[in-house]
Amino acid sequence: MAQASSINKSRVQHHFMNAEQQFSSSKLGMWLFLFTEIMFFGGLFVAYIIYRSWNPELFTMAATQLDTMLGAVNTVVLIGSSLTIALAIRSAQLNDTKKIFYYLLSTIALATVFLVIKYFEYTAKFDVGILPGAMYTFEGIDHPKANIFFSIYYMMTGLHGLHVLIGIGLMLWLLVRVKAGDYSSEYYTPVEMTGLYWHIVDIIWIFLFPLMYLID
Amino acid sequence: MSGHHIIPLKVLLNTTIALLALTIVTVGVFYLDIPAPFDVVVAIILASSKATIVAMFFMGLYYDDKFNTIVLIFSLIFLLVFVGITLLDTLFRDSTMAIW
Repeated sequence: MAQASSINKSRVQHHFMNAEQQFSSSKLGMWLFLFTEIMFFGGLFVAYIIYRSWNPELFTMAATQLDTMLGAVNTVVLIGSSLTIALAIRSAQLNDTKKIFYYLLSTIALATVFLVIKYFEYTAKFDVGILPGAMYTFEGIDHPKANIFFSIYYMMTGLHGLHVLIGIGLMLWLLVRVKAGDYSSEYYTPVEMTGLYWHIVDIIWIFLFPLMYLID
Repeated sequence: MSGHHIIPLKVLLNTTIALLALTIVTVGVFYLDIPAPFDVVVAIILASSKATIVAMFFMGLYYDDKFNTIVLIFSLIFLLVFVGITLLDTLFRDSTMAIW
């Protein structure tokens, strides 16, 4: 017990009163970062809104090229991964190190499934010449600005995909530290913060799915 | 101990079920073919409900220090300012002007 509390003390940096204050400060810092993430993706959502308001018929036509089924499956996959990372945090709070490891592993597996599906979606489009901007050569959409929809599509889903990839990287790092026995109910701040990041990635997809795939 | 609330397992599972149900509704509504401006409105309302559920229960804002919720709400206010002021320009441009 004395040893446990001394380990706990060593985690608290000198400018914090106690572990509790340090934890809530980290959490506030993470929420401020998520604020910048919302503004970051917000810029792309603004681009989407402007071009859709200028060319409503283009968005209706171009969205038919996206596979609603694959988009829906990916939505379910990300919701599942949000549950598994929430369970990982819960396991940390309950001091069950083994379960933190397995829930993080499940989250990584689901994130990988998401990216694999995205890979097949992208390559199927590349094969018919649906590429962003000036590289666009697809003839199937009778609209002079068809490439604009796909530039926005690739930018938004690509940036989201990059966030998924970064999330996998963070969770692999967590796995190493869980194995090293760094986390317990006394200290699990990185697991909690990665969870918050992962949920915001899920929320962004929750908006991307209907806005990209579900236009008549 | 506001930051260390252990969310009950039942809450996490019900949150997941609610999100899956709303996803089914989102896809179902798409096949109803709601006329033009309202389909987007319905889609945004459903997506916002899902996002709120994720923020409240998965991200734990419901149990958390309320200041974190204020940070989130402010980010949404700034986003609305961003969208609103941009649209004040782009929606009211001269239609004879060459635009992209």
